[in-house]
Amino acid sequence: MRRREASTKVMAASTAVKPMTVETAEEIAAEEFARIVASHRPQVFRFLLSSLRDVDLAETLTQECFLKAHRNWNQFRGESSAMTWLMRIAINLQKDHWRNRRMQFWRQTRTNAVDLDEASEWLPNGERSAEQQMLAREQVAQVWQAVKGLSERQRTVFLLRYVEERELSEIAESTGLSEGTVKAHLSRALGKVRTELRGTR
Amino acid sequence: MNWREDLAGESPEKDFELEQALQHFKASIDAWSNAALSRPRMMTKAPVRQNWRPAAIWALGCLLAAASLTGAAYKMLHRQEMTKQAAQRSTEKPAAAARSIAQPTNALPEKKAPAATVRKLSTGAQDNAGGQDENLLASVNKDVSQQIPAAMEPLAQLMDSNGAQ
Repeated sequence: MRRREASTKVMAASTAVKPMTVETAEEIAAEEFARIVASHRPQVFRFLLSSLRDVDLAETLTQECFLKAHRNWNQFRGESSAMTWLMRIAINLQKDHWRNRRMQFWRQTRTNAVDLDEASEWLPNGERSAEQQMLAREQVAQVWQAVKGLSERQRTVFLLRYVEERELSEIAESTGLSEGTVKAHLSRALGKVRTELRGTR
Repeated sequence: MNWREDLAGESPEKDFELEQALQHFKASIDAWSNAALSRPRMMTKAPVRQNWRPAAIWALGCLLAAASLTGAAYKMLHRQEMTKQAAQRSTEKPAAAARSIAQPTNALPEKKAPAATVRKLSTGAQDNAGGQDENLLASVNKDVSQQIPAAMEPLAQLMDSNGAQ
């Protein structure tokens, strides 16, 4: 919608002075897309990284996501937010990746996915005591363990909700599920996290 | 609606623990993602495509092809030359044989001609020769008889004087 508004504003401004040429419109669209890449790239990358636990693969799929978005930029009608649209592309790419890996089970594919312990090592440098840091690390490891046990759909929904902090409607739009289904998946995912947290106590 | 509100219905203790765990989880992923995004990228120089390799292969291939073609052409020409020479030799041999056979028959009249003329002339010449021989012999006899060694000179004088007497 913002895109539409911006383009209409630009069109209005430019028509007042001179008629907009195709080149000018393309330049504006390119600039707008560059802005979207700059603002949404970290989020798309973070979602893919948390889903795959593989930095290189996450980077590759992020690039592919924006490449695909750029190709279909003209088809983006602005009905949903650009972030929701990009997330949908990222989810589809991730699905394709897993499907391809399943199909190519005979191929020995090298994976750079880090194990859960390594993933749990990452913590922000806050003013915490060593004990607090250890506790936080333990909790992160437990959540990772629970996430590992989730189904693909539950994991996607869980990560979009609790890491990307997307609204339920946005998650529903990105995943192509109804809000009720999203809630159900979230509930099951949370239940598993709780069980994991309780289980280690 | 914030996800923290989702957890509002739970018991306070569990809510706090779960919320804290989820917060730590999000913070952990944020830190990892930021570190991964801001890590220094190793700009490895793209391997320069070694264009000389295919070029060298092409050149070598062309060279080999040219060499084989030249060799084949040379061999063919050489064979042609050999066959030509063989053909020439084979044509020359009968000719030479024929010539060698034909030469004596042709040469005989030439050679015989002087013989015939000799024969033809022999009768006349023999007559002449006979007269000449006689003359020659007479002169020789005369010369020989007249050439008297110095030691025999008195005897010769004696005979001359005896003859004169």
